[in-house]
Amino acid sequence: MPFPILNTPFVVLSEIINILEPNEIVNASFCSNNMNRLLKNHYQRRKPLEWKLIMSNHECCGKVDIVTSKDDEKRMTVLSLQPYSSVWKSFAGKIERNTEFLEFYFEDRVMGSKLIVQYVTNLFNINVYGLDIDRNGIWTIGWINGWQEKALAHFVFRKIPYIIDWYGDAAIDYALRNARASDYYNIDDVVSNTFRFDGNLGPMKELYIPDGGHWVTLNNLINFDAIRIVVRDSRLSVSDLYTFIRYWLAGGSPRLTLLYLEFENDRSFENFEKQLEVVEKNVVGDYRLSDDEEDFHFDHGYSIQRKDGVKAVINFDIDHFVMMVL
Amino acid sequence: MSSTEQGTSSAAPAEPTTAPESAAAPEVPESFYYVHGKDKVVHKVSAGALQHSALIHGMISNLGYTEEQAKANPFPFENIDGDILQMVVDWCNQHKGKPTPPEDTNLPKQKEKLFDLVLAVNYLEIKELLTYCCKQVAMMVKGKSPEEIREIWMIPTDAEDEAAEKEAKKRAGKEAAGETAAAAGDAK
Repeated sequence: MPFPILNTPFVVLSEIINILEPNEIVNASFCSNNMNRLLKNHYQRRKPLEWKLIMSNHECCGKVDIVTSKDDEKRMTVLSLQPYSSVWKSFAGKIERNTEFLEFYFEDRVMGSKLIVQYVTNLFNINVYGLDIDRNGIWTIGWINGWQEKALAHFVFRKIPYIIDWYGDAAIDYALRNARASDYYNIDDVVSNTFRFDGNLGPMKELYIPDGGHWVTLNNLINFDAIRIVVRDSRLSVSDLYTFIRYWLAGGSPRLTLLYLEFENDRSFENFEKQLEVVEKNVVGDYRLSDDEEDFHFDHGYSIQRKDGVKAVINFDIDHFVMMVL
Repeated sequence: MSSTEQGTSSAAPAEPTTAPESAAAPEVPESFYYVHGKDKVVHKVSAGALQHSALIHGMISNLGYTEEQAKANPFPFENIDGDILQMVVDWCNQHKGKPTPPEDTNLPKQKEKLFDLVLAVNYLEIKELLTYCCKQVAMMVKGKSPEEIREIWMIPTDAEDEAAEKEAKKRAGKEAAGETAAAAGDAK
C-alpha cells in the first residue's frame, strides 16, 4: 500500500529519515530532484555527526561506505563503481542495483569514483573520514588532499590479492609521504627487501603494519609519532630495541603507549637486565590500555621507569616484543 | 479502560464504569475523559492511557473536571476519522502504565490506514506510537530500488513535479488576473 511521504508533516518526515539506513537514504535520493533536495536540506540542518564516510578504491572497484557505529563495526556500502564492461559500449554509463545499494558503471573509473564520493558527501553534508585503497587507488591520496581541507582520520593501504613478487615500493613510499590520517594508519601492501622509508609519520593514534613490516628500521620507530605501533614481520634487532628503550627512557616518543612487534626470525634477548635499568622483574599479569582493547598477558615481564616517573612494562619471547606504557 | 470496554463507545457519552484495576492499583479512583473523532462516536479513556498523548495530557492536566463535567465535554477531534481514533485509543489502552517495548507488535495492521494514523498520532503528540509508525514507513523501502521507492512513497517524477509547478504558476497567474479585473470593476 503506497504511503504519500511528501504529504506528511515536517516532523514526521524528519523522523522517518532519521530511521532510514544510509544506503536507503542514498537510494531514495535518486527518486527525484525534489526528494534529493529534501534529503540534502535535512542533513544541512542535522549533520550526522557520528557517521564516517570511507572512500574505497581497490581491486579496480570504487565504493562509498558509511560507518554508523562508534566502534566501526557497522559499515555499509551506499554506492559502488564497477569496472565498465564492453557489453555496455553503447552506454556512457550504466546503473545497476544489487539488493542493498546502487552500482554505477563508468568508462572513466577515476571520474566515476570522484562522482560517487562527491555525491554522498554532498548529500549527507560530511567529509571523507577515511581512505581504503590499494596501488590502483593511489591517485585518491592526491585528489583528497587537494579536494578536502579536513584531514583524514583513517587510512588503509591494502595489498593486491593473489600477487607474488610484485612489489609496491614506489606506491608505498608515495602513500607514506602524502597520506595523512589522525586515527588509524594501516600499511598492508608488500615491498621489496631493499625498501626503506626515510620520512616521518604522524601524529596518529595507531600505526598498524599487519604483514611485511621488515622495512621498519630503528630510525622509523624513533620518527613515527603514534600512540600505538604494531608491526608484524619485523626485522628490528635486539640491539635496535635496546637503543629504542634507552631513547624512550630519555624522554623520546612521549606519546607512545604500545609497541608490539612480531619478528620475522627468532630473537634472543640475552642480558636484558644488564643492558637496561630494570625497576621490577618477573612481572606477571594481564595488561590492557583501555576497556575496549584486548589484554596482553605478561609471564616474565620487566618494568622500567622514565626519569619523570612514567613506567612501562616489557615482555618478550623469541617471536615477539611488547612494551606498554602505564 | 480495557480494549473490550470500548464497546461502550457510542454517539452519546457512555456511563462511567469502573475500570478493571490490578492488585497494585492506587487507592484513588482513576479519572476518565471522553474523546470523539469525525464520526462523533465518543470513547471513554482513562487519564492514565491518555498520558501517552502530550496534547491531551496538556489539555486535561489543569482542568480538574468532575466525572460529570468530563462526560458532558468530550474532546472533539474533528480532523481525525473515527476508526483511526479508535486505533489510537486502543493503543493507548494497551500501553497504559507500561514501558513501551522497542518493537511493537500491537500496531494497527491495516497498512492503508497508516498515513491517516501517522497524521493523527502526530497531531495528538503520541511520541512512542509515532516512532513505531515511522519505523513501519521506513521498513517499506528496505532493499528497494529508487523506482520502487518512488512508487511506494508516491514520490512524483521530475517531469511530474515540473508539470505541477507549471500548472500552479498558470493557476496563480489566472487568479492574479481575475483579482486585477475585479479590482478594476470595483474602481468603475
